[in-house]
Amino acid sequence: MVPVFVLALSFKIDAQVIGSLGDVQMDETELYTMTKQMSQFINRFNYEEDQYGKRLYPSDADYRSAKKRKDALPLLFDLNNPRTSGTLRDFFVEDLTKNNNQFIEFLGGDWFSEVSAKFIWEGKEVDVSLIMRIEKDGLGSKWVISNVFFSEFQKYFPQGELSEREKHFLHPMSHELDFMNIYKVFSNPQIVEYYASNDYQPDYLTLFFYEIKQGNLKFDHVVSVKFHIFQIKNWYFEVSWFNRSGYNSGWLISNLIYLKDNEKEALIKLYQPTK
Amino acid sequence: MKKLVFAIAFAFFALSGYQMFAQEPELSPERKQAIDSLALEKVRDLSKYVKLIGSKNTPWSEANRVIDRAEELFAPDAEIGVSSLAKTKIEYYRVRQYLERLMRLNYDRVEIDWYKIQYVSDLQRQPDGTYVGVITIFQTFKGYDAEGRLVYQDTTKKDITVYVKRKETQIGGRLIGFWDVLLGDMRVKETTHK
Repeated sequence: MVPVFVLALSFKIDAQVIGSLGDVQMDETELYTMTKQMSQFINRFNYEEDQYGKRLYPSDADYRSAKKRKDALPLLFDLNNPRTSGTLRDFFVEDLTKNNNQFIEFLGGDWFSEVSAKFIWEGKEVDVSLIMRIEKDGLGSKWVISNVFFSEFQKYFPQGELSEREKHFLHPMSHELDFMNIYKVFSNPQIVEYYASNDYQPDYLTLFFYEIKQGNLKFDHVVSVKFHIFQIKNWYFEVSWFNRSGYNSGWLISNLIYLKDNEKEALIKLYQPTK
Repeated sequence: MKKLVFAIAFAFFALSGYQMFAQEPELSPERKQAIDSLALEKVRDLSKYVKLIGSKNTPWSEANRVIDRAEELFAPDAEIGVSSLAKTKIEYYRVRQYLERLMRLNYDRVEIDWYKIQYVSDLQRQPDGTYVGVITIFQTFKGYDAEGRLVYQDTTKKDITVYVKRKETQIGGRLIGFWDVLLGDMRVKETTHK
């Protein structure tokens, strides 16, 4: 167990106050320990920022130092959550620093932002989650909408019982009858997708754009933002914003799951169906 | 005058590596630090202007002039998005509108102070090649009534977008490259830190 609290208090704030505009005469340790931006989370996670807040570059001796990274990583977890403050966290830190060759890359793909927002749908407020990812474009990159979760859309495409699904098909000689039986496809609109390929996956993003264009779904406001990180081999974790006092605030790991890479693929498909 | 010297010195510094930069997608740490300083200079100006605009000792006409200066720091379409602990839904303001609201706050005395802590993100390039970064700073606000009682206080985290663009200008017949820094959208969020 790393003495996180003691470590946090031992931080000096020099590097984050250089040329500062500040005039407040108060203890700023809490604000220093706060992980203030996702960029800072990435820099601290990779140990590209030292314990004094100084940015480290490849030419610096401590750049991505395994030893120092091992001490710094526990500070990036939500310590109020047993899921992210116990043995699992220690395994994760050990795994990361053993070979010390895994880092979060901004343009490395396989990380997503989930923007939970309120929209107006048929006159009432509803929850919609927009999944965003960084896409390289032109001379740089941009955030794009990768998928959308909206319970009303999911209701359109219930999984259904396999035995029921298997009853609905057009027999393989239908073409010889000029598809005279095709009316059956449309006789029950609720299950029209049963007649699509077994590989068919509904494209919720297209549905979302359609509903927006039709004026049926109207954006209201953002409720919260969090990040899903899949870049670390055999691990998945979430990063959320903790607005609280103390030495454990800002962007912190709020969920951690040991997940084999082959199991990850299915999950990533939810976030990025076009991958 | 000091600022002009700084800008010219920076322009020459930037020019020296311009050809190299044109082919290089990444900024060197030295260049990034120089650009960070330039961006922080703008944020520092903004913080001074905000103090002046908020102060009840600043005459009305002077406060309006300062608002003009502050507005010039921002890109024309920049917006300020404000939320508080009680009201988490973001309220959007144009820069001028936000500063004018600050000027008209109904307190007898106002104290605006800035924490020394700041954080400057890495610069990322957007598709058109412009670099974009975010500077985070913290402000305390205290409002007092006519009897000198503290009636409102908050601490806000301000995340300020910074756009950095390579531009060229003619000085004495020579084409000089320089970094143009403009502030963009600013997110103002109340924190629990007091």
